[in-house]
Amino acid sequence: MTITEALGDSYVGADLSADLAAAALDLARRFHDGATLWVISPQWEPHAHHVAVEFVHPVIMGKRALPSVALVEPDPVAQARVASQPGDLLIAVASADEPAVIDAMRRAQAWGVLTLWIGSGPRPPVGAANHVLWIDSDDPMVPATGRFVLMYHLLWELTHVCFEHPGLLKAPAQECTDEVCVTCGDEGRLGEVVLEPSAESSGATGQALVRTATGEEWVDTTLVGDVRTNDLVLVHAGAAITRLEVSP
Amino acid sequence: MTGNLTGHEPESTGFLYPFIESEETDATSLLDDLAASARAKATESARLQRESLDEYAAALTAAGTAMAERFLRGGRLYTLGNGGSSTDAATLASLFSRPARGRPVAAWSLAADEAVVTALGNDVGFELIFKRQIIAHARDRDVAIALSTSGNSEDLMTAITEANQRGVLTVGFSGHDGGRMAAAEDLDFCFTVHSQSIHRIQESHAMLGYRLWSVTQEHMARPLSEARA
Repeated sequence: MTITEALGDSYVGADLSADLAAAALDLARRFHDGATLWVISPQWEPHAHHVAVEFVHPVIMGKRALPSVALVEPDPVAQARVASQPGDLLIAVASADEPAVIDAMRRAQAWGVLTLWIGSGPRPPVGAANHVLWIDSDDPMVPATGRFVLMYHLLWELTHVCFEHPGLLKAPAQECTDEVCVTCGDEGRLGEVVLEPSAESSGATGQALVRTATGEEWVDTTLVGDVRTNDLVLVHAGAAITRLEVSP
Repeated sequence: MTGNLTGHEPESTGFLYPFIESEETDATSLLDDLAASARAKATESARLQRESLDEYAAALTAAGTAMAERFLRGGRLYTLGNGGSSTDAATLASLFSRPARGRPVAAWSLAADEAVVTALGNDVGFELIFKRQIIAHARDRDVAIALSTSGNSEDLMTAITEANQRGVLTVGFSGHDGGRMAAAEDLDFCFTVHSQSIHRIQESHAMLGYRLWSVTQEHMARPLSEARA
């Protein structure tokens, strides 16, 4: 379908509008808790800048200025890694096959960062980001026709509507008991190696400093052997139990 | 007695205000409202894009054709805008300079280089950040597209005047009632998107730019004899 034919339809159907609503509420909740929004778009940097300026300097007078920064250096993963803290937000505007975005979205889980992925064309795999806001069109010109702009405009507008509902900005209480809790139990959390085991310590216990959604901790790496800085590992009960392969 | 009343008051009057928002706990209706709002705004965005394309069909063809002729003579495109419109200007420039398909032509956003923008802003004033670049870069075969949702930005207007004097083809994308752009004699083409929403105007600006690019591409793909006919 060409761009002009698509103009006959509305751009946002029932599914996408529900995705946008859920994403906006999550965004508002995290901003309410002090999040900074990081934005990457390795293929279309101006979109990253547009998202950031939208939140920082709203076009509607009186709306809150919110912290948002476009990360447009040549290595957006490295930039997002050092910028982001647990509780932050990361939006990518990119196609599903953009390697840096695939990598950043995966690592964001270890950084404790909530992810949104805006794009068009073939979709990313299910679960690739917390929220996937997608335009199902195979036309490569979509990013230049205003439809991505519409998507993040809507996201911004809906997020600010959520601020008018302070009672809903508290995240729903986690279902949690001492015996069985998948959320906070130590079942295997994704971690990213910050400091690999040093030469002195590796002989003894192989302690590596690992970053997870809950902060930094020293973990035993005996089970997984050689680990390097920025490797992804699964952490369980104070030990790295698996090293994840870098995405193909 | 007074104490009794006071003690009961919060409980006994709470039913009068069941929807005090700080006490809202069920997000279902909010999410439904947000989704409905998203659909309505998206429908309006598409309608406005269609309306703008229809209104300016002939002028878009004329402007795109004139641009193509300049590109074929080695002309290049400068795009100008402030804030969100500067990012849309950058998207438009990269549509021309590295399109997903078709022929690339030289194009860049005059807001893209922070060294140049801050040097000019600091030394000669913000309203001259674009004009001074036009003086440095522009040749009589070039094209400038200025994007402003109000049509009133001083830095764009002074740059357009300068560009026009230097023989540059000048195109303005405006909004609301067109502002100063709608009345500017320095603009060869002015496309005003009739809306009060800055967001919806920007979305239509993108579509107008896309149409200009499409016309340009079509014209540049024709054999020379046909293009002249």
